[in-house]
Amino acid sequence: MKKLLQSLFILLFIAGSAMAQDRTITGTVTGKEDGLPLPGVSVKIKGAAGGTTTTADGKYSIKITSQATALEFSYIGFLTQTKPVGSGNVINVSLVGDSKTLSDVVVTGYTTQAKRDVTGSIASVSGEQLKNVPVQSFEQALAGKAAGVNIVQPNGVLNNPPVFRVRGINSISLSSYPLIIVDGIPVFTGDQSSNSAAGNALGDINPADIESIDILKDAASSAIYGSRAASGVVVITTKKGKQGSTKINYEGWVGSSKAQNLNPLLNAAEYVQIKNEARTNIGLAPAFFLQTRSDGTQVETNWYDYAYRTATSQNHALNFSGANEKTSYFISLGYSNQEGFIINNSFERKNGRVNVDHKLFKGVNIGANFSYSNTLNRAPNTGSLPGSSFNTGGLGRLAFVLPPNVAAYNEDGSYNVNGSAVGLGANLIASNYPNAAVLVNEDANTSESDRLISNAYFSVQLLKGLTFKTNYNIDNLKLDNNVFVNRIQGDGFAYNGGATSNFAKNSRWNWSNTLNYSGTFGDHTIGAFIGVEDQYTKGYGYGATRQNVIDPFIEIYQGAFGAITPAGLSQYNNAFRSFFSNVTYDYKKKYYLTGSFRRDGYSGLAAGREYGNFGGASAGWALSEEEFYKESSLSKILTRVKFHGSYGLVGNVGVGNYPALYLYNPGLYGSDPALSFSQAGNPELSWETSKKADVGINLEFLNGRFSLDVDYYHNNIDGLVQNAPQAPSKGIPGNSILANVGKMSNKGLEFTINSRNIEGDNFSWNTSFTLSTLKNEVIELGNNNADLFGVTQLETANITRVGYPVGSFYTVQTVGVDPATGERIFVNRFGQKLRFSFQRATAARYQYLDGPNAGQNAPAIDAALDAQISGQSVPKWFGGLDNNFRYKAFDLTLGLTFSGGNKVYYGSLAGLRDQRFWNNEAGMMDRWTTPGQITDIPRVVYGDNVSNGSAFAQSQNVFSGNFLKVRNLALGYTLPKEFLGKYGISNVRVYAQSSNLWIISNYPGPDPEVSVNGNSTGATNSGNLAPGVDRNSVPSARTFTFGINVGF
Amino acid sequence: MKIKINNKIKYLFVAAPILFATSCKKDFLKTAPDTALPIEEAFSTPARILSQVNGVYAGVKNGNFYGGRFLIYNDIRGEDFIVNKPNGVTNLDTWRFNVTSNTSEVTGLWGAAYAAINRANLVIEGVTANAGLITPALSRQYIAEAKFLRALSYYSLLQLYSKPYITDNGTSLGVPLRLKAEKDLTGNDLKRSTVSEVYTQILKDLNEAEPDLALTIAATKASRNTAIALKTRVYLTMGNLASVVTEANKIVTATAPFTATTGVANKLETSIATVFGGSYVGTEALLTFPMTELDAPGTQNQLAFYYNIESAGGNQEYFLNANGILANSAFAAASTDARKTLTTAVGVNTYLTKFKKPSPYTDYVPVIRYAEVLLNLAEATVLSDPARSIALLTAVRQRSNPGYVFPAADLLPANLKNTILTERRIELLGEGFRSPDVMRLGAGFLAKTGPQGTAPAIPFNTAGYIWPISATEIQNNKLVTQN
Repeated sequence: MKKLLQSLFILLFIAGSAMAQDRTITGTVTGKEDGLPLPGVSVKIKGAAGGTTTTADGKYSIKITSQATALEFSYIGFLTQTKPVGSGNVINVSLVGDSKTLSDVVVTGYTTQAKRDVTGSIASVSGEQLKNVPVQSFEQALAGKAAGVNIVQPNGVLNNPPVFRVRGINSISLSSYPLIIVDGIPVFTGDQSSNSAAGNALGDINPADIESIDILKDAASSAIYGSRAASGVVVITTKKGKQGSTKINYEGWVGSSKAQNLNPLLNAAEYVQIKNEARTNIGLAPAFFLQTRSDGTQVETNWYDYAYRTATSQNHALNFSGANEKTSYFISLGYSNQEGFIINNSFERKNGRVNVDHKLFKGVNIGANFSYSNTLNRAPNTGSLPGSSFNTGGLGRLAFVLPPNVAAYNEDGSYNVNGSAVGLGANLIASNYPNAAVLVNEDANTSESDRLISNAYFSVQLLKGLTFKTNYNIDNLKLDNNVFVNRIQGDGFAYNGGATSNFAKNSRWNWSNTLNYSGTFGDHTIGAFIGVEDQYTKGYGYGATRQNVIDPFIEIYQGAFGAITPAGLSQYNNAFRSFFSNVTYDYKKKYYLTGSFRRDGYSGLAAGREYGNFGGASAGWALSEEEFYKESSLSKILTRVKFHGSYGLVGNVGVGNYPALYLYNPGLYGSDPALSFSQAGNPELSWETSKKADVGINLEFLNGRFSLDVDYYHNNIDGLVQNAPQAPSKGIPGNSILANVGKMSNKGLEFTINSRNIEGDNFSWNTSFTLSTLKNEVIELGNNNADLFGVTQLETANITRVGYPVGSFYTVQTVGVDPATGERIFVNRFGQKLRFSFQRATAARYQYLDGPNAGQNAPAIDAALDAQISGQSVPKWFGGLDNNFRYKAFDLTLGLTFSGGNKVYYGSLAGLRDQRFWNNEAGMMDRWTTPGQITDIPRVVYGDNVSNGSAFAQSQNVFSGNFLKVRNLALGYTLPKEFLGKYGISNVRVYAQSSNLWIISNYPGPDPEVSVNGNSTGATNSGNLAPGVDRNSVPSARTFTFGINVGF
Repeated sequence: MKIKINNKIKYLFVAAPILFATSCKKDFLKTAPDTALPIEEAFSTPARILSQVNGVYAGVKNGNFYGGRFLIYNDIRGEDFIVNKPNGVTNLDTWRFNVTSNTSEVTGLWGAAYAAINRANLVIEGVTANAGLITPALSRQYIAEAKFLRALSYYSLLQLYSKPYITDNGTSLGVPLRLKAEKDLTGNDLKRSTVSEVYTQILKDLNEAEPDLALTIAATKASRNTAIALKTRVYLTMGNLASVVTEANKIVTATAPFTATTGVANKLETSIATVFGGSYVGTEALLTFPMTELDAPGTQNQLAFYYNIESAGGNQEYFLNANGILANSAFAAASTDARKTLTTAVGVNTYLTKFKKPSPYTDYVPVIRYAEVLLNLAEATVLSDPARSIALLTAVRQRSNPGYVFPAADLLPANLKNTILTERRIELLGEGFRSPDVMRLGAGFLAKTGPQGTAPAIPFNTAGYIWPISATEIQNNKLVTQN
């Protein structure tokens, strides 16, 4: 498609060139990187009309007049070069590849558009920018690469889908994840695994197969996807063969990763000291003691060693591509085997792809993309995925709470266990936490996916400029999820070991038919298309849980067990029917107008309300194309100025499959059939709608050497679909009803700067910078603006309240520790300060700190009433700064990302200071011990779960989320060509790279880029309602890789 | 050239049908789940109407409610159990009176009880609207069962979220009284009725249900005797002893052996072991909630998981307080009381092993046992008919310890009530009675100490004595006030 358009443009340029010619210049255009001839390069005459293109062998011949001063060579994916016309008749040029503006063309889904003609807001990231990054899925590598796009990696669990937000959180109850289109089909996204082994559906796509990623941000660009565009649309285009000889590319790396910034914990002696002190303080006898082994050594266990490791990974991608005039092909194979720093966490992907395009005969093209992948995710229960933060067996939490004075193994090598929990050691108090060593060794969670994404198209040119295309796509995703829990410790202890397996099959087809017209009439260029599309998705899943192993050797579901019950059953279907059209117009590439319309029908909406109309329009003005501007002296420096603006209405239909229906679920009462109310439907449920406005300016200085794009956007989500909370006393299932209630807005500024600071044969330096701001405000909510609470499994630390950003932190205010008594000071809703001591009787635990009632008993803090908003969880600003340096054969990349203006709730810290038998963070040694002592850690009282924040969320655990990360630091060396040529190798680059090398932040936890609730959209553990929560989560990884890229 | 264009127009004719071919299937957008029933069909056959009634039972049987947790809360608030595990999820804060309106016990029980109430209301309306599909008697019976379950649910809510009736004869705040089926966005705000108003409704429901309930039915369903038995509990809680006697007399003979002479022939099983190890639906059960492998209580809701010993598949979450009822001679080393066999010592601690089935924990949950009715009646007749009171007490005791003779002092008028209350603790241990009993007697909760620290003493009607109203109710019901 790009090729087609490219030739179209070339045609446009040469149209109407008929002038007197003086002499003929000839030459060859080659690519600098591989030295191969480049066919189809546009050669334009500066200072006069006329031009040509290079032939298949890269040669050109052009007649020029005496006015001609220079020739301009331009080609997609390469930097444009201007060569002055001298006296000679031969000008050979070698073009330098341009990773920044690789796509001069943006793919807008159904069509493509020249980048300079875009009047909407589209961020493009080339596959080249994602190359070699040690990630599982491509979107993990997008952080800081595109303005308005915020990527938050929830934590270090491999293949855990990142929180992916385009221009803010765009829904409250529905998914705010953008629509992902791969070669024309909206693909399955999100964590598809049903167990602790995270399985991001996008991890099935090999990042090395991606040619370009275009992120449609504003309504004018995305409206063509109508009802699904509200959270932005990400259009992935996979690679195609390029004309020329067959190319073979190999990219491989090996790497090692480690957990970073683990919070130091108490050692055995400190633990015994603190816990016994806490007991003594409440009048209890000491119960914690150091344990001595038979050889006289003391037991000292760092439980982090049983959770984390130094892991190794490898990744290989091999592709073959090529094209002739009739056929182009791209064949790729990939293998990735990544280990996580969490013990027994791994990601293994095998994939293959064949992309073929063939010109059947003149004007008739066929093609197919066919990709298959097999991905095996494996992980222990990390307690770090949405809804698992408080799992007793969560590894992130176990490493925190297990006693350091108790060994993982007995001296005879057996596991140190005591019933369902870790052994007592010399302690007198039993733990209820299982031995982490048993869980990581004996339990297993796997999620294996088999994925087929493919499409086939047929296009025919009916008339000049008028093309019909039919496109049929499928996305089939099969998942095999397996869990085994051992009988020794953990969840399986109670039932003597168990296994849960389920199989889920999701399939989708999508058939679109479009008629596309483009034509130029003098100064007028018109593009138009109309289309229809049907999409059908269905899925089902089945499985069971088996319990009570018959013999301890059994470790899989298929073995013999005492009991079986169904688990993981699912069945759904949904359908879309759509009609859409788009018109683009420009006058002399100076004035632009576009309009899109889509009518979508979705099966899940209420009867009679299935259809909705969406649309957007945009306009642009290229000031720099005006004659008066061209004549101004400014045009020499500021070579391009373009203004654009857009407005439109798009929707979000992530409402699930049957939300409009009132449903009853059949079930059992004992062994009798039972029917019970399971869903309160809404016969008026309609689309969530969002009105988006965007204005922007594109500036290019010195012919694109430096460019600045600025956009202002305002998304007004005025038909918010909300799980409207219902008073629990109504007894509505789930205590909520999906309804079109509520309003929210996102607005902000986006800046993108690209600069080729220094360009020399020996030294070059490029910089790209993105900065985005975001202001989110909830304007209206259901049930008379009733607050929505963001629940993280067992804890509520977030609130969504009118007038504040979505998912703000909502905590009881604490103001340090009273130096006189060492008691935590709380502030109640009346602004009164209360001292708290767990030591006193219930009615006397809270006492007034000061004022007329000082020392008297006060009503207990009620988190629901006394909490207040303590900051926003959504970053106010974020972005990235990439610098690429090249000196001769060496290259250096430094990629930074930054984010801030928000807070992070470090809930783990509440647990790390809990005064039950749990181990604590090392900072606990600063607890209050003597009157007058100034400290933030109260006097320890055994059993106290209030002063630290375990019982309810408190402001003491809310911290600034500002950070600057060295996301990527890479040093590469390209081997000299002369040396390689002998072996038929065209280029070799070797590099060493580090990811997440360094985090600059005041955050006391491992990494302020964190969100245990991820992308979840459940009523609880929602990534929209409870973002920015760090609760019992594993940390993030620091990775070093060494790699090689070879081209033949 | 001309011919060529014509050829291409032909393509257009080929393409046009394809372009619109996809638009043919008219019902393409009509989808519905294959695993759930739309509301229009929900009461459409006699079998479905019966399933609907079973759905209300299933609602009350929810693991967060009568399927397990409600009983646990009531027992561990009392002094007979010590929390062994420091796990917030397994009710540490309930045990040590440290719950807030957001604690999962507080929000979970509230939600589950009201979900059951709404199911009852939906069934009352649904059966009424579809009465033509079944016989009038059956339709009355189904509505009566729904009312019985609604009454049981409201009674249960009052025991934790409201001050005891005896505080002020029920003038303090009870809970919102929802009597209409709820299924749309309206009606969030509803004020709390008084305790007395809620009891009035409970008794109205039970009185209306009594004549319409089946005379005999399996013990997993409410029969006429079940409603009467529940009334003895309700009246006892209200301190209305005369009405306890009136109701109990309908199903308890004047003298031993005590039996019900109408409806189900309820009487004590000969052995307590049969009650907790047999079919669960014997004559002693006035109502018991069935559990099966496919309809189990759910994770961390199961009685046996909480109480039973690890070697039997339990998790030893709570053990018996050495200073609680375990100190009673019925549990002493030399005791031959059969109820002692429902406990097991592991190390220094003794655990309740009344609930025995390992995962998925399919012990039936006892709701009303004939033994309770006898003890209710015994307590109500301490003053009015001490001889019968002693006979009732003795019947319960001697079932488990046939040779046992109460010391004379225990049966003195001044001590008889206490002896009966003690017998209740022995007999009904782990069945969810302790906290309501403490509260209806105007007593305070005693302090207790264990490996997880100390639960403080909570004097009558002081802070922590009753639970706060669920935070989510406060947030979404503007008319409700917090305790």
